[in-house]
Amino acid sequence: MLALLMRSFELFVTALAWLASAIFVLAGIMLTFEVIARYFFTAPTIWAAELSQICLIWGTLIAMAWCLRERRHVRIDALTARLSPLGRLVAEIAAMVTVAAFSGIVVWYGWEIFWDSFQRGRTTGSMLDLPTWISELAVPFGFSVLFIQALIEVTRVARGELTAGNAARE
Amino acid sequence: MTVLIIIGALFAILLLGVPVSFALGGLGLALLLLGGFSPLMAPQAILSTLDGFILLAVPLFLLMSNVLLKGGVGSDLFAAVQAWVGHWPGGLAVATILSCGIFAAISGSSVATAATIGTVAIPEMLNRGYERRFVFGLLAAGGTLGILIPPSIPMIVYGFVTEESVIALFLAGIGPGLALLTFFILFSMGYAAFRGMGRSDPSSWSERRRVSVRALPSVALAALVLGVIYTGAATPTESAAIGFAAALIITGPILRTLTWKGFREAAIESMATTAVILLIVAGAKVFGKAIALYRIPQEVSMFIGQVIDTPLAFIVIVALILLVMGLVFEALSMVLIMTPVLLPAAQGLGIDPIWFGIFMVIMVECALITPPVGLNLYVIQAVARVRLGEVAWGVLPFLALMFVTVAVLYVWTDLALFIPFKL
Repeated sequence: MLALLMRSFELFVTALAWLASAIFVLAGIMLTFEVIARYFFTAPTIWAAELSQICLIWGTLIAMAWCLRERRHVRIDALTARLSPLGRLVAEIAAMVTVAAFSGIVVWYGWEIFWDSFQRGRTTGSMLDLPTWISELAVPFGFSVLFIQALIEVTRVARGELTAGNAARE
Repeated sequence: MTVLIIIGALFAILLLGVPVSFALGGLGLALLLLGGFSPLMAPQAILSTLDGFILLAVPLFLLMSNVLLKGGVGSDLFAAVQAWVGHWPGGLAVATILSCGIFAAISGSSVATAATIGTVAIPEMLNRGYERRFVFGLLAAGGTLGILIPPSIPMIVYGFVTEESVIALFLAGIGPGLALLTFFILFSMGYAAFRGMGRSDPSSWSERRRVSVRALPSVALAALVLGVIYTGAATPTESAAIGFAAALIITGPILRTLTWKGFREAAIESMATTAVILLIVAGAKVFGKAIALYRIPQEVSMFIGQVIDTPLAFIVIVALILLVMGLVFEALSMVLIMTPVLLPAAQGLGIDPIWFGIFMVIMVECALITPPVGLNLYVIQAVARVRLGEVAWGVLPFLALMFVTVAVLYVWTDLALFIPFKL
């Protein structure tokens, strides 16, 4: 049962990563459309800039957990690379617990911000005048997924499934 | 005292291997909670970061360069440049540097530039009997052009945190970028002539025409993106979007080199890099908010004001600090951690914030190729499958040239500031 849950979550995180990729491509298409509409048809859109911004917020936040699983996040391995295997294991677990703790707290306060806006029906006051909770919801959502992923990483590391490739990337 | 404790805590968390983004964000959040400030500022800072229109340029520039990469533009560029200058003394080295320079105008990252051109240029140069050390040093240094010649992701991020104009930063990078390009080329030609390294045979005119036609669309694209930004026809973010669309057209219907698989890889690579970079920016914003509430930047700036009274002394000390940080940090983290703390002090000494941004970008890049540890050294090491020592030795003359450029930039600030402000 637990294995099935873990497997479904893994697929879910992978799906989110693909969704994030598609969202960024979509933002590119919307902004290109905006420029074409403005220059060639002198008809600037009122939605392209705002919607593509929402793409950036959601895209980044739903991709966090996948990046953690794939060890894509930039980290400093100057010290940990020199530790004994046991030392590395302990450091990795401590690092993942730190990530989990941080995301847990952000979920809590991020939800507070979202819920407040949702109940009051706060809007952006921009041209589209969208509800602000549309982007605010991305914080508690993304960090919940990250929180679960960080806990899964703790168990993976503890069981010795330490992924070696944690090379820094730009 | 508080300053030292905070620095100590930051280093401890980072060295433990916590991703930089969450280490900065986590420490910032902890400081907010400990200081009795509202922790709601943490999610708010994350949201306000991702709500920045200029940062939307990051995924779009990445998509543009990754699509071109998957379309094989790197080797096309190198082949075209080589056909023109390959028979010069040190011709292959000159071709490598020029390709890095042109690719830099497409890509905003030094690692991508070094890796792309390196893959094609390293085997070619080694076959022609170029010294190994020289080849690796050249590539590691050539990558630097990637973040100095616009577009540049570190400049976008610097502009975002300092609220300075990204357009001005982009334009200010051109002068020093071209200066560095010239220094590298002159050095390579002199060195190759002196050491009697092999030249390639002059290419025939038909060959030149054939390879140039293939490379032309990418060069035109680089010019288009820069032109659009320079004339103000579109914002940097919009020009990145146009660049991405044009990259799809070039590698799709025109060159027919982009496969569906290649496109998917480009999309997922860009997504991963974007998420990682923007989360570091967001984490740094949380951290920056927290230390501002503890009045750390003010204190550091006051302390610097008491100890240092000339801009030169300040610049030298900042350079040394960045070189030391480069032992463990990568570019963006250095820019993000140091800028909020140092910029107030710099401005107090009358240093132009745009100039300071360009200075930071070059110094950060120096730090990345300064032995014994540097991110770009690792990239070349991985691409060429050689020992780190060989790369590290080879890079020293190029590093010296970069320091010379910084010195020139200090004495003659217009090298950076002429194009954005006086042209």
